[in-house]
Amino acid sequence: MATAEHAVLAEQGGVTSLRRRLKGARLPWVPIIILVALVVFAIGADVFSPYSPTKNDIKIGGQNIIPPFQDWSHPLGTDKLGKDYLSRLIHGARTTLRVTAPAMLVAIVVGTIIGLVSGYAGRWADSILMRITDAVMGFPSLLVALLIVTLLGTGIWTVIVAVTATSWARFARMIRGEVLSTRERDFVILARITGVSPSLIVWRHLFPNTVNTLMVLTSLSVGQVILLEASLSFLGMGLKPGEPAWGIMVAEGRAHLIGGWWLALFPGIAITIVVMAFNFFGDWLRDYLDPKLRRAR
Amino acid sequence: MWAYILRRLGEGVITLIVLSFVVFGSVFLTGDVTSFLIPISEDHDQKVYEEQKKAMGLDRPFIIQYLDFLGHAMRLDFGDSFVIRQPVKDLLLERLPATIHLAVAGLLVAVAIGVPLGILSAVKRDSVFDQFWKAFAIFGMAAPQFWIAIMLILFLGAGVKIFPTFGRGEVEGWFPTLTQVPDMIYHLILPAFVLATSVAAAIMRLSRSAMLEVLDSDYIKFAQVKGLHDRIVIWKHAARNAFIPVLTFGGITLAGLLNGSVVVEVVFAWPGIGLLLLQAVTSRDYPMAEGAILMSGAAYVICAMVVDILYGYADPRIRVN
Repeated sequence: MATAEHAVLAEQGGVTSLRRRLKGARLPWVPIIILVALVVFAIGADVFSPYSPTKNDIKIGGQNIIPPFQDWSHPLGTDKLGKDYLSRLIHGARTTLRVTAPAMLVAIVVGTIIGLVSGYAGRWADSILMRITDAVMGFPSLLVALLIVTLLGTGIWTVIVAVTATSWARFARMIRGEVLSTRERDFVILARITGVSPSLIVWRHLFPNTVNTLMVLTSLSVGQVILLEASLSFLGMGLKPGEPAWGIMVAEGRAHLIGGWWLALFPGIAITIVVMAFNFFGDWLRDYLDPKLRRAR
Repeated sequence: MWAYILRRLGEGVITLIVLSFVVFGSVFLTGDVTSFLIPISEDHDQKVYEEQKKAMGLDRPFIIQYLDFLGHAMRLDFGDSFVIRQPVKDLLLERLPATIHLAVAGLLVAVAIGVPLGILSAVKRDSVFDQFWKAFAIFGMAAPQFWIAIMLILFLGAGVKIFPTFGRGEVEGWFPTLTQVPDMIYHLILPAFVLATSVAAAIMRLSRSAMLEVLDSDYIKFAQVKGLHDRIVIWKHAARNAFIPVLTFGGITLAGLLNGSVVVEVVFAWPGIGLLLLQAVTSRDYPMAEGAILMSGAAYVICAMVVDILYGYADPRIRVN
């Protein structure tokens, strides 16, 4: 009996209302196109890139390095070893997603669980968890990341742990706030009275109502995460040198500023555009789904 | 007010203890420091290993080791660096002035750019001026700082040599002599500007939205109706109140500065703590990294605390909750 009731009541949750509300919305097309392009290039990196990102294409009798917009077999030129730069940039999109997507996912899961527990359990569990959350939230993310690198060495897992360690707190804070307001609503109180177990209440009634917030916060955080990953890669603390990651490419270009201006320029532009697209999209999503959060514009 | 200050101080102390616990605990869990210190040939000799462990007090229980560590950390004593074989404390204190100079310069530039531009953008809302600086702020928050730094070097330091691109010049220690001042500022311009970008962008957005809110309030309208000159209304009445929310985000601003200073010090070969930290991390020099992270972290927590207390002073409403 209880299940039928809260199945109906769960309809009030975020997912259905989101679908309804998105109908007829004015979508931010430019950021969406950029983000779709990012995903398409990341998935089909091997199809789209004209050369291998790691193989050298050394011309016989010529110089290894080719500037952009001169030889149309290498439209964006090559790096100092004769690797096609367009191919490296396209594969950089894949690297970005390969690192940030799992990192983001782990951060969201950890943050959400802590937020749900903190908000629903209340009392001492809540105060302890929120004290920790506050301490972590403001702390400089790069310092935390560097501590983790010292302990674990470099590599993709280190980046994932570092991103999780620095961004779960924002999720925990927001989700907790959302849970605090939802748990006093009639449908949750009714579910509790009918004897639904706490874990089921959290999962079926409280969690679905946090989905909007989660999506807004995710899209607003992705940009920060990409920047953190790029900074770590740039500092030589992320992926291995030589891998087609945008941060690493800027670091490699730094050594060849004279005679190779495009090497540091292009990957930086790529990072900026992608982060901007995520920020714009996140802003739009926030204004659209969560008018409460809207700030003066 | 005193209750507020005491509460905030208490929170700060707790954060510092948690920070030291996390740093020590994670090193304790993941790193076997002993194996770093004995030669590889003796690595498998259990007896040498145990003796070394005992000599360094690493065989004691976790909590005793932690308290010992905390006691020494309070005196900035983090032991000797594994790599440079000198006390970490000396190395840190030697590098501190460079980092403080850079951070203060960065903060000054960020406030000097961010606050006036944010206020003017709000006053000239939706004008070309507003649109331009809004775009600038969006760019400043999205572009990676290491890249901005390299682009500035490319355009202003490498091809056309307008600015120096590395080091802090002739200055050593805290205070430059009078003749060194121009050279010091000359070397500071590019790094300070890069450090300021993301913080300035954030401050600009904050002060703009705060100013919009203030301009909409009754007392500003009253001041205008009273016939006060626009300039006085904006800069004397409105701007002061618009600055308060900027203080709220003081902590985030400081975190941004600290994050940025590591990257900026690396790109500009600025001989500060950030550069030292990065070298320590690369060579897995545990005491050095521990010391640098704890000192930067403590500096951050203390500064954030001071900013919050100032905020409580500037806006009495905050003291209540």
